[in-house]
Amino acid sequence: MTPPLQPGKAGSAVFTGLRRFAHAGVGLVLPALLYGLWLLAVERRWLPEQILPAPSLVWQSLQELWASGELQGHLLASASRVGWSLAVGGSAGLLLGLAMGLSRTLRDYLFPSFDVVSQFPVLGWIPLLIIFAGIDEALKISAISIAVTVPVAVNTLKGIGNIPPALFEVCRVYRFTPWQVVRRMVLPAAAPSLFNGLRQAVMQAWLTLVFVELLASSEGIGYLMVWGRQLAQLDLVIVGMVLIGAVGVALDLALRTLESWLVRWRPPAF
Amino acid sequence: MKRRTFATVLGTAPFINLLPMGARAAEARPQVIRISFPGAGTGGRPIVGGSFPANSHLQRAIDEEFKADGIRVEWKHFPGAGPALNESFANGLTDFAFGHGDLPLIVGRSTGLKHKVLMSAGRGGDSYFVVPAGSTAKSLTDLKGKRIATFKGTAGQLTTYRFFERFGLSDKDFKVISLDSDSTLAALSTGDIDGTVRAPFDVEARGVAHRIHEILNDPYITRPSTVWVGEEFEKKYPEVVQRVVTRLVKVAQWSTLEANREKQLQLWATSGTAYVDYQKGWESTKDLRDRINPLLDDYYQASIRNSIEEAKKYKLVRRDVAFDGWLEPRYLNNALKDLKLEDYWPQQAADGKVKVPGRKL
Repeated sequence: MTPPLQPGKAGSAVFTGLRRFAHAGVGLVLPALLYGLWLLAVERRWLPEQILPAPSLVWQSLQELWASGELQGHLLASASRVGWSLAVGGSAGLLLGLAMGLSRTLRDYLFPSFDVVSQFPVLGWIPLLIIFAGIDEALKISAISIAVTVPVAVNTLKGIGNIPPALFEVCRVYRFTPWQVVRRMVLPAAAPSLFNGLRQAVMQAWLTLVFVELLASSEGIGYLMVWGRQLAQLDLVIVGMVLIGAVGVALDLALRTLESWLVRWRPPAF
Repeated sequence: MKRRTFATVLGTAPFINLLPMGARAAEARPQVIRISFPGAGTGGRPIVGGSFPANSHLQRAIDEEFKADGIRVEWKHFPGAGPALNESFANGLTDFAFGHGDLPLIVGRSTGLKHKVLMSAGRGGDSYFVVPAGSTAKSLTDLKGKRIATFKGTAGQLTTYRFFERFGLSDKDFKVISLDSDSTLAALSTGDIDGTVRAPFDVEARGVAHRIHEILNDPYITRPSTVWVGEEFEKKYPEVVQRVVTRLVKVAQWSTLEANREKQLQLWATSGTAYVDYQKGWESTKDLRDRINPLLDDYYQASIRNSIEEAKKYKLVRRDVAFDGWLEPRYLNNALKDLKLEDYWPQQAADGKVKVPGRKL
């Protein structure tokens, strides 16, 4: 979204740069205030130390857990669950979205059911899933996959719906095979919406992950958080939260980068 | 109403000076006494069994004690067990714990919770390792790498780890997951877990699971649980604490009488734990005083010290836990003296052997 720079106006460029910096800085105000509130709450003992640990303790726990390799182990366990679910749920969502987007008949058959099912929160699935999938990995992967499928399918569908009909006509004129239509036209045209769906899916995946890891786990970030609570080490819970946030931001950035690389053919001022 | 209060104050004024300084500084009475159990019955019902503090709730003994004074007793049962009790206490919502397990007790103190140990809530008993009915495992060694359930953060976790140790194994040899007791039972029936430490009688009778190991009456494997009071409450209302303790000791004595065995087993079973689990679990205890024992004897102290070391070894606490200054046996001793029960219970040495046998009945 870079606004095209006007040549010969260097002062304005500096100004724009400053303004951007200020914009970024403003975003830090709220976290800084929250951090200040946290420090104050700890110092004034608004909450017992067993409930709200000091930031320094959280930092110390983070370092200790990292140094012992425990944190990486938990992170890896969670990441692999999220990875598998994104692969399974993401491809299911993509196929579903494409099918409903490209075939009017399939859409008529599938969409009403899909619409209803997608209204259930994932947590509502858990009791049923436990009966079918037990409490092991299968439960975790299937629950997260469901959470992933819905946003991916919805956004794929939306992305296809937003493609100008003219483009389909062009495909017909060129006598594209269905595969060519999907690969050469639909996917690139729907890419922004697709990535939007994927980013939502990643967020949903992490949310669900933490919940399912509260059930019968022996590793993972969600497990670390429950464990911290059981042992009255709330610093571990906060470490888990910080970590989930950090991983979420990193994944989002990665997806944005991937997206801009994939759609690099687009003119920059879209 | 107001006038009467005023009159009461006037009426008692001349006597106030007769009271020792400490008692005068302390406020006379709380409006409510909040007593917490680290557990709940099946499905979260507010009933637990298996101990004399549980009897004090089931028989409403404490409520009765304070009824005339207009002091309400609020009973709390936490399905989240010992760790949930710690959270409640940290939030200032609990005054007494009636039977906290060793691990959450120690974890609580390690995080700076301030309580005073009043008496032991019970001790002894047998432990069993149970596997699903279809399991072919003959011993713990066969279950290496398998999924074992325990309610992490509770005393059950350390008991399970001691079980592993007894067979030359450790928690690292298994996939140890955390489940509460209701979920453990369900998971055992569906085969979602490969084993757990729990009472085997009911599940065996129903053909759901069977035991592969039993460790009978081993004072090292099982550890005493604890009755404590919050430090602040104790400082403010020492007389109330004394009355609670004395009443509890009375209930403890009632609970040790053979004539009351059947009655209390029935009471305990209202928690939802099968009657047969209690009945068989207590069958080998010929003298109930061996397990229903409030003393803070050498065995109690050595056990807690041992548990502290274990908690440190398994990295379940990160700060040191000071044992000194934790116990407050004054109230218990007063109660034993008042009720003439000083020699009633057997005193155990640090290793669990009886040092001074209980009074001949």
